[in-house]
Amino acid sequence: MPATYAHPEVLVSADWVQEHLNDPKVRIVETDEDALLYSQGHVPGAVEIGWHLHLQDQLRRDYIDVPRFEALCSAAGIANDTTVVFYGDNSNWWACYALWAFKLFGHRDCRIMNGGYALWASQGRPMSKEVPSYPPTDYKVERADEAAIRAFRDDVLAHAKAGRPMIDVRSPDEYTGKKLHMEGYPQEGSLRGGHIPGARSVPWKRAINDDGTFKSPDQLRALYEGEIGLKPEDNVVAYCRIGERSSHTWFVLKYLLGFPKVRNYDGSWTEWGNLVRVPIATGEEPQRSDVIPDGGLQIPFANSGSWTISDRNLQPGICLRESVNSVSRSGSRSRSGLTIRHCIDREDAPCRLRWMKSSRS
Amino acid sequence: MPPALDEIVEELRDADRQERIELLIDMAKKLPPLPDRLAHFKDEAHRVPECQSPVFLVVEPEGNRVRLFADAPIEAPTVRGFVALLVEGLDGATAGEILGVPGDLIERTGMPEILGMLRVRGLHGVLSRLKIMVARAANASDAEARR
Repeated sequence: MPATYAHPEVLVSADWVQEHLNDPKVRIVETDEDALLYSQGHVPGAVEIGWHLHLQDQLRRDYIDVPRFEALCSAAGIANDTTVVFYGDNSNWWACYALWAFKLFGHRDCRIMNGGYALWASQGRPMSKEVPSYPPTDYKVERADEAAIRAFRDDVLAHAKAGRPMIDVRSPDEYTGKKLHMEGYPQEGSLRGGHIPGARSVPWKRAINDDGTFKSPDQLRALYEGEIGLKPEDNVVAYCRIGERSSHTWFVLKYLLGFPKVRNYDGSWTEWGNLVRVPIATGEEPQRSDVIPDGGLQIPFANSGSWTISDRNLQPGICLRESVNSVSRSGSRSRSGLTIRHCIDREDAPCRLRWMKSSRS
Repeated sequence: MPPALDEIVEELRDADRQERIELLIDMAKKLPPLPDRLAHFKDEAHRVPECQSPVFLVVEPEGNRVRLFADAPIEAPTVRGFVALLVEGLDGATAGEILGVPGDLIERTGMPEILGMLRVRGLHGVLSRLKIMVARAANASDAEARR
């Protein structure tokens, strides 16, 4: 039997949406990067909820408050028991962001239309320019649980210090610190480039196929659990620049892979990269995860700093220079680096090695 | 500003929010396709690197005027609409006129009201890229004329 997503019900197909266009229990919501796209044509009956205009407070850097969220839902004809299906452009970037924002207010049934706007349009499905109106509801926020899915800077600082896993979903150039902003978004710059020490780089797009649909459960597991070494019970923080791309990864980890503890750090790099005195790491290498290849794994020494090797099954943060023998039964050192030929864990089983350069001051 | 561009900017400025959206979508729809003979210019050298969507600009000097061609995806109507606005307003203008287009063109159209402050700067990339290409083409044809 092929593997399934952890919560398969949160992902609906375009077919499903087309069958439920007139279902009063279902509200289709379009949330886009491109502010004109909805007006150009949308899934018939879909309402538009703008990530910036509707979900964010226009003065403070925060989301709208409970009364405004209730008013927004009411105006969109969304009741507490409505199934809300989000979709949008850019492979559902903003759709995932809107879903995350709805979850901040505890809306129960939120789903994503797999493939988003582009897939719907490319399949020649019905489009409408008509802006629908629905009878208002008496929406009441029942139990908002912001803390479970939203991380603030102090949470992230503690998280980083504890060495807990973080996923940086930005482009490689933003992660390494080469760029201070994403291509095309110079307004969202920061004073410092780089990433939060300990964060692994997994650009959000790695979770999707060319047609904008999510990768299969096996592919996603191979990426986040295999390549990156996350474990479902991990406490994970995802971040990007303003929290939108990381909503996408948050959705993947939380719902498609079923990790119970995943938070989105919406302050992200526009906050962290401008904060005074927080730790920052630059460069490509900070962490790599590798099984030991034939011929050994080469770890180059830099002139300064020390290397840290860790694995979930090993004691965390073993300093290579002092205790190389406790992780490697056969390794050799030279002036320029270290070669590890074999790595075993405490139960004497071969293990995956995670290594990083400690570049923190 | 060349009168054609001035007219579009004025029309947008005077429109209300919804009309502005309609106007831009309309312009996006009417962007003429890149002529076949220029199709091979859809390459990195003609791409606007500041744009997330694949946006291409081609300028062709014609006497003392500049012909302007562009391509942008249908599913990115904001940038396509803006590119169409530039083509409609500046195709056939002189290099001097294009280089003299004010830097706050986008603000003058009232587009920030629709797009929000964060996203509007991406469009500035299109305008500055156009100016760079026009300046280069003008320099090249000056050099040609001197030869």
